[in-house]
Amino acid sequence: MSSSNASYFASNFLGKTVIDKAGKPLGTLHDLAMSKGERLPHISSLIVKQGKGMTSIPWAGVDLFNVFVIAVDLDRVDAEPYDPEEQGQILVRRDILDKQIVDVEGARLVRVNDLKIEGCLDALCVTAVDTGVRGLARRLRQERVWSFLTGLFHRQLPHKEISWQFVQPIDDKMTTLALTVTRDKLGDMHPADLAEIIAQLPHEEAEKMLLSLNTETAGEALAEMEPEVGCRLLSRMEKEHASDILEEMAPDEAADVLADLPDDTAQELLGLMDTEDAEKVQELLEHEEDTAGGLMINEFIALPPSMSAEAALGQVRAKALDLEMIYYVYVLDDSGKLQGVTSLREILGAKPLESLQQIMSENFKTVNVDTPADDVLEVVEKYGLWAVPVLDKDGTMAGVVTADDVLTHSLRFALRWKRFRAKRRF
Amino acid sequence: MPFRFLATAWRKVNRRNLLLFLSILGPGIITANVDNDAGGITTYSLAGANFGYSLLWMMGPTMAALVVVQEMCSRMGAVTGKGLSDLIRERFGVAVTFYVMIALYLTNLGNTVSEFAGIAASLEIFGVSRYVSVPLSSLVVWLLIVKGSYKIVEKVFLGACLIYVAYPIAAFMSGPDWGVVLRAAVVPEIHWKGEYVTMMIAVVGTTIAPWMQFYQQASVVEKGITKEHYAFARLDVIVGCALAIAVAFFIVASCAAAIHQQGLSIETAADAAQALAPVAGPYATTLFALGLFNASLFAACVLPLSTAYYICEGMGWELGVDKDFTQAPQFFWLFTVSIILSAVCIMIPGAPLLAIMYVSQVVNGAVLPAVLVLMLVIINDRRIMGSFVNGPVFNAVAWFTVVVVTLLTLLMTADIVSPGVMDRLIGG
Repeated sequence: MSSSNASYFASNFLGKTVIDKAGKPLGTLHDLAMSKGERLPHISSLIVKQGKGMTSIPWAGVDLFNVFVIAVDLDRVDAEPYDPEEQGQILVRRDILDKQIVDVEGARLVRVNDLKIEGCLDALCVTAVDTGVRGLARRLRQERVWSFLTGLFHRQLPHKEISWQFVQPIDDKMTTLALTVTRDKLGDMHPADLAEIIAQLPHEEAEKMLLSLNTETAGEALAEMEPEVGCRLLSRMEKEHASDILEEMAPDEAADVLADLPDDTAQELLGLMDTEDAEKVQELLEHEEDTAGGLMINEFIALPPSMSAEAALGQVRAKALDLEMIYYVYVLDDSGKLQGVTSLREILGAKPLESLQQIMSENFKTVNVDTPADDVLEVVEKYGLWAVPVLDKDGTMAGVVTADDVLTHSLRFALRWKRFRAKRRF
Repeated sequence: MPFRFLATAWRKVNRRNLLLFLSILGPGIITANVDNDAGGITTYSLAGANFGYSLLWMMGPTMAALVVVQEMCSRMGAVTGKGLSDLIRERFGVAVTFYVMIALYLTNLGNTVSEFAGIAASLEIFGVSRYVSVPLSSLVVWLLIVKGSYKIVEKVFLGACLIYVAYPIAAFMSGPDWGVVLRAAVVPEIHWKGEYVTMMIAVVGTTIAPWMQFYQQASVVEKGITKEHYAFARLDVIVGCALAIAVAFFIVASCAAAIHQQGLSIETAADAAQALAPVAGPYATTLFALGLFNASLFAACVLPLSTAYYICEGMGWELGVDKDFTQAPQFFWLFTVSIILSAVCIMIPGAPLLAIMYVSQVVNGAVLPAVLVLMLVIINDRRIMGSFVNGPVFNAVAWFTVVVVTLLTLLMTADIVSPGVMDRLIGG
């Protein structure tokens, strides 16, 4: 059949009478099945309701399909029996209309009021989802009334359509159709936005969404969440998968999430992790949450005093992608005692053969693992540091607390307050 | 089997499980207690004042019905992690949701009016004019909405639940004959008179309101309770319903002892508080009025906001108190209009309060059966609930409860619409 380039909405068709070639009514259009297309999904068959039974008529048998008449030619194709439990195909009414989806562009959850269907080549494609008030009115068959009412106030019924390319169906059944574009798009979102969306999702969907992300993105999103939400998600996941995600997270963030889990579960997950990663996390778990030890990251650039600036630069470059804090370089002696601190700026500005001993500043500020978080914040603020080194009880360097982490911790109450307000439901 | 889990739960009592239970405690208790709002307290007071102890036997069956209904919501919330309006929308489509939401809005509006009326009446006992108390309390409600977070609100609410202790204390002050009270509580004594049957129905009707199901489920979801911890959530529902019914029981008992014995006739909960004084002393009046004020304010906080939330959730509109009028207009308008309309209704001299309550009660009677039936369809849908669908026994109990509650609600509504229906039905 040839279809024009007109655009319609799913609600224009659903419930309409379907006729055969002779003009005899076959039943009403109950649903539309879609299948994955090149770029956009297209309508693959019509689900027609006849009395109590349902049949599925492939798109090839459709002669006419517009808002006035839907005609099929049953000589050309055979109607197949339709099984409502079959999970293989995506149905517009059953699986998409009224469901929540992630609007990647707007970074929020929206509800599908209607679907926009447009002619493309020789098929009908689903091009956009309608999430606006107009779609709602159309579904309720009250578009005219609502338009008239808003017209009284010289306003238009708001249009809100999201192109299919920015829509990410979260439901598992939709993964058969997961468009490559959108999968990547989800990964392109800012982890904080992702975290907010995942936190709003019902738990099954939240899990599915986390599973659909690669472990790195999932780890970033988990790190952005409230620890208790992250811990709830992790505890419901396959242990193996959870430990993979934890490995991708910075040790201090992984420790925050694990701290909220029951001890035995946390130990089990640690056991599944890469030993080196697990040790770092374990170390951090031993400190109280609101002390420097609980806030610190135990991965930092530590170099011997005799090293030249050039070699140091090479070291920084080698570790740059794995470390959170590369601005400061800590100069340690053989026993792990902090001798001095220097920065990337000073190393770049130094002569290549100068040793770190000559560049470093010996007048540095430190805190201890049991220093309260508020005091750490004070040091960071007073001396304008991006990070402050943390010393163990025996004076060896245990880690660094970044300004960002201590700020987050100290602002947490205020932040939580705001976030709870955002997510609260009654 | 709904009760076998209690036995297994009992065997598992240990420190960790106790802590877990305490952390999950909340939704059920709060929901059941909010339900003892101004309308509820009025109904119970009148039941005690007009019919003495003879309605006390209703409390057991009412509690059973309440537990059955609320437990299903709690289960849906824990299993799906979605709110009730969300499930209704996904299962039944937009049209059903839209009309249920409109009905819910209307009936909740009427309820909110009666909460503000309760605030006005209870504070007038202390000599505070309604022109002071109503604007002030609407402001408090507003502030809680704008400033609160669910955790804080929940703590405030649990605190408010404690104030209900006023009622048992007032009951002891009224000095009923406890032997008689206990017998009345277990031995049904039905008078086949129109008024009595109407009151019977009102007791059930005021205890099971449609918004409670939405609220229960939303708060379970909000707390992040999952099916793994579901047994505790169930216990929470049962404990909450038991507490709420206990409060109702004491209200009926105290009014029966103090007012019915004196042979006084009262119209409202505030009248009841005043009428307690001669028998139970002035402190009982204070307690009763305090309880009424607390209950009314409590429900006036929950109703407008929760209504706005369900509606926006079901219709897919932006919601959240951190947004503003331009980002989430529907949400803000919905609850603002609720609060302003209700407060204004109370402030206008000679406002048709009775007519408003009447309409809201009628809509209530129409929407409750619809919500209950939708719930039962959802909870038996394996696609949604998986292995957590109702078992055959529980399903029979649930359907029976729903049919009885529906019949009673329809009867009550019929009686409101054309008084005297009950008498003709009973032939009394």
